Amino acid sequence: MNKILEIKDVHAKIGNKEILKGLNLDLEPGKVHAIMGPNGAGKSTLSKTIVGHYDVEMTSGDILYKGKSIKEMEPEERALEGIFLSFQHPVEIPGVNNTYFLRTAVNAKRKFEGKEELNAAEFLREMKKYLELLGMKSDMISRSLNEGFSGGEKKRNEILQMMMLEPDVIILDEIDSGLDIDALRAVSEGINKMKDGKRSFLVITHYSRILDYIKPDYIHVLKEGRIIKTAGPELVSQLEEHGYDSIEEIQ
Amino acid sequence: MNMEETIARYKEDFDLFENPNDKIEYIFDLGKKHTTLPDEQKNDTTFVEGCASAAWLVGECKDGKLVLRGEGTSEMAKGMLTLLLDIFSDRTPDEILHFDPAKLHEMGIVELLSPVRQQSLEAFLNKVYAYAQKCKEGKNNE
Repeated sequence: MNKILEIKDVHAKIGNKEILKGLNLDLEPGKVHAIMGPNGAGKSTLSKTIVGHYDVEMTSGDILYKGKSIKEMEPEERALEGIFLSFQHPVEIPGVNNTYFLRTAVNAKRKFEGKEELNAAEFLREMKKYLELLGMKSDMISRSLNEGFSGGEKKRNEILQMMMLEPDVIILDEIDSGLDIDALRAVSEGINKMKDGKRSFLVITHYSRILDYIKPDYIHVLKEGRIIKTAGPELVSQLEEHGYDSIEEIQ
Repeated sequence: MNMEETIARYKEDFDLFENPNDKIEYIFDLGKKHTTLPDEQKNDTTFVEGCASAAWLVGECKDGKLVLRGEGTSEMAKGMLTLLLDIFSDRTPDEILHFDPAKLHEMGIVELLSPVRQQSLEAFLNKVYAYAQKCKEGKNNE
């Protein structure tokens, strides 16, 4: 099987509490993998572990991206390599202009890839295409990063970053939380536009609602720090009906 | 792309920015592609008199066209030179001599320049027209 990301027997803790307890997961290129699981199962810890978030200490196991171990890499190195995380709770950074922030990030990645940096006009032209698609008002890009943004605006802004950065592995941590139906539709449209048969998506969610818009190829159930079941999209309805507690019985 | 089309393209670029500071910053951005001149070409003949910061402009007549190269010392001069050379360089002397400099205002940035910098623009234009005139008369010069 062709794999873009391989998570191998990963143990990770936050503070003194072990959250991931021997987690194994492979992501295939071009596929949408959904992670579902009850509260406290370790879903957000998993996303933070993949990107190297400072909250998390990975104690054993390995993560291979395109066949190369990334566990010793800094978060920004992982981002430059093409791993993207859309935060569950995007951070507000007053004083940092949204456009500058994003242009700096995009140009850092272009430089890393040996491409020419985009000047301000080229960048804006590119960005305006996506603003329309995401239904974002143009004043949002000239404001401080996420400051005073509504929940929906923050998530749209995360998707804007994703679209501009063109990552290869996209992790969406509860992208659907706090979204009304219009925002959910706009965000899903942005995500679906990024599908190119090569990029891989890891959609972390509580609810199946988002999966009506972003069709998953695989469903993985995460419970108590491990993937306890992997199946096709048909698993969603089973989970909806019987809940996570039924999974052991299904196995 | 002729001179008018080049100006129209820059107008489109500058129109993307809502506030004047962003427009000025874009000029600085353009300056990152700024080229330099060899030291021996930075002399009294090529010096742009009246520029707010030191700048030099070399004009050469090649195959019936005026080819301009320049160097500025401030970020503003570098950016403006890059933009202006894009408009004026590699044109026939007639194109340049028939060009109405008022068209530069269409880009929406000339009025953002300080009076001193507007004078610099004037000084640049005078030098370009002088080079174009000489080129037309068949004198190749720097």
